[in-house]
Amino acid sequence: MIGYIFRRFFSALVVIFGVASLVFLLIHIVPGDPLEVMLGETASAADREQLRHLLQLDLPLLEQFYQYFYALFHLDLGTSLFSREAVWPQLLQRIPATLELTLASLLVAISIAFPLGTIAALKKDSGWDFTAMTVSLIGVSIPNFLMGPLLILFFSIYLGWMPVSGQEERGAIILPALTLGSALAAILSRMVRASLLEVLREDYIRTAYAKGLSLQRIMLVHALRNAMLPVLTLIGLQFGTLLGGAVITEIIFSWQGVGDLTIDAIKKRDYPVVQACILLISCSYVLVNTLTDMLYGVLDPRIRLQGK
Amino acid sequence: MSNCMGGKRRQIGILIAVIGLLILGNISCSQQPRKTIRFALSSKPVTLDPRFATDAESSRINRLLYTSLIDFDDNYLPVPQLATWKEITATHYRFRLKKHRRKFHHGKSVTAKDVQATYLSILDKQNASPHRNSIKIIDHITVLNAETIDFYLQQPDPLFVSNLVIGILPADLLAKQHPFNTHPVGNGIMQFLRWEKNRLQVQRLADQQIIEFISIKEPTIRVLKLLRGEIDLLQNNLPFEHIQYLSRQTNIHLEQKPGGNFSYLGFNLQDKVTANLKVRQAIAYAIDRKAIIHYVLGNSARLASSILPPEHWASNQHLTTYAYQPEKAKQLLQEAGYSTTKPLHIVYKTSSNPFRIRLASIIQWQLKKVGINVVLRSYDWGTFYSDIKAGKFQMFSLIWVGIKSPNIFKYVFHSQSIPPSGANRGRFIDKQSDALIDLAATQALSQQAVTYKTLQQRIQQLLPYVPLWYQDHVVVSQQNIQGYHLSIDGNYDGLQHIIRNN
Repeated sequence: MIGYIFRRFFSALVVIFGVASLVFLLIHIVPGDPLEVMLGETASAADREQLRHLLQLDLPLLEQFYQYFYALFHLDLGTSLFSREAVWPQLLQRIPATLELTLASLLVAISIAFPLGTIAALKKDSGWDFTAMTVSLIGVSIPNFLMGPLLILFFSIYLGWMPVSGQEERGAIILPALTLGSALAAILSRMVRASLLEVLREDYIRTAYAKGLSLQRIMLVHALRNAMLPVLTLIGLQFGTLLGGAVITEIIFSWQGVGDLTIDAIKKRDYPVVQACILLISCSYVLVNTLTDMLYGVLDPRIRLQGK
Repeated sequence: MSNCMGGKRRQIGILIAVIGLLILGNISCSQQPRKTIRFALSSKPVTLDPRFATDAESSRINRLLYTSLIDFDDNYLPVPQLATWKEITATHYRFRLKKHRRKFHHGKSVTAKDVQATYLSILDKQNASPHRNSIKIIDHITVLNAETIDFYLQQPDPLFVSNLVIGILPADLLAKQHPFNTHPVGNGIMQFLRWEKNRLQVQRLADQQIIEFISIKEPTIRVLKLLRGEIDLLQNNLPFEHIQYLSRQTNIHLEQKPGGNFSYLGFNLQDKVTANLKVRQAIAYAIDRKAIIHYVLGNSARLASSILPPEHWASNQHLTTYAYQPEKAKQLLQEAGYSTTKPLHIVYKTSSNPFRIRLASIIQWQLKKVGINVVLRSYDWGTFYSDIKAGKFQMFSLIWVGIKSPNIFKYVFHSQSIPPSGANRGRFIDKQSDALIDLAATQALSQQAVTYKTLQQRIQQLLPYVPLWYQDHVVVSQQNIQGYHLSIDGNYDGLQHIIRNN
């Protein structure tokens, strides 16, 4: 197991290095000069060159690349070209909001998907199954940019129960979490249904029925646990995506998360902030996927044995 | 076993009940009355340090937190703000601070040394201030006493005073490298309280009223928050449909005032197609600007004929405008060598802003009617702006915001202002225009006005831009919010008198 963790850790480092290099190169290749945004057009060519020199943007790309990784190795993410503040505090300020929204969305998704998927699998081809899958289809078909305003109109404007957007008001997280969670729930419930249907056909389930075990026990102890592996992979992937910032949802609900920060930085060509945000997103993906792989071992002892 | 299962069930039940209560507890069915006045912004201010602010939101909020030496009246003429001035010679200006002036918010008096320190800080190359270029004509600054300060210029510039609009910072904090960008200390009508996430709180000194700026990017969300009473007022950056909708709400107050932000179509004069004056004139005649203003902008704009609005002291109010004449446009196209068998194709670049794309689509449709095939290309702001500056375009549309000085003509139309040396993005080169711009730079204001009027006539004839319109300013607020008045340049000075009547 330790060897397995070591291998995963090493491959994670390679992935993060690859992503960081790619982002560095891409952002320096795309059109648009941060100095134009910083100084405006009124600046003289001499002032522009002076600032370019101060920010070390006049160095050869390879040297900038080396300096970026040297600083990164020392956990220095640089300074924002616009706010002239260190990037770390800006990122740290946004991470809790993103984490909060991610966890709340997952909670919503799991709370909806597991009952819906289980009912659909148990009552396959019945009215229950049809209804559950239709609800799931609707959930996956409505994009966030529509779902968000619809939820706001209903819950905030019509019923007056919740704030339209923001983070400080009471109950502010419910609507963004519902927006993100409902789309995820739709995908998850389909996965739970498909995975459960496969497991329910297994011999050991038939044996459990033959032994006279209750449906509840068969489902909770035997079926759901074994059906969890593909569902867990999906949750892991979605968790990584959500940690990267659900940009549209964050913008609709004025949620000051990482996605919002990333988009702003890209628009302004704020290189250090863009690089830091994307690095964070890739680290989240790698970390969550590594943890998911480890959880496989907990859920399925056969994987642990293979690991040995 | 059954006891164990029952216990677990009870635990799960309790857990669900607790989560439910927490959620319900978080839901507020009714709004608590609040004293803070909330003002919605379309974007977050970038910096609260006036030495570095270039975006509209930062500049407007900084006006409340700091005071500059001069300001502008409704005709865009400079007027005293923190100081009065006297032109001793063409290269020597003396400023005297007003006797009754507010102290800085950290308690120190504003003195000439603070003015000197602020401007020296901007002039310092190491600080890389975007405003350095506008004042680098300053040769040196001398403090005569606590109230008097002299500016010496390298060469005469009759418009020099118009550039002294940057908020004054305290010299003691400048020396300590105080982070003004996040913790501003000025001597404006409002003092900074806190800035967390997308909320910025300032306090009015006169009565301790707290004003909270909340940045909300989506216009629909800003409107919904206003309707639900989560914010008290918002200004500009709303689509026409939203304004129309809000104007029908009985609990919402809406006010409009003419503005000076100039929308235009720009051409690349180095492109063989758009270099042809007849092509540019055909496009100008083919656009039905009145219809766009009426149907798309909801009459919340004025037709423009020049970069300067009519109320500007240097504007030419007698310019002949290009009225909608599709037949004349077709004739000009024929004269330019285009016909139905050889139609004109032109690429129109715009940003990815949905409203700009919508406008571009309407212009595309109007031009199609006279036989001009327009290919629309929209890009993210960085790419679009970069292409425009590099001259990689045939036609584009943009807006000039916050123009106050006629120096804009030099910056936009002088042959020496081709990027990166200025904003002559269309590569417009005309000796006569250059000569008029250079002449104006040597004249007194009254003479300059005459020269600039001639220049505007010349530019109108050569048509490097098609002037479109000046968009109005709009403020929408709750009915109980009173005392807010719109200004011609769209600043937030109206917050000085705003009150909530409960």
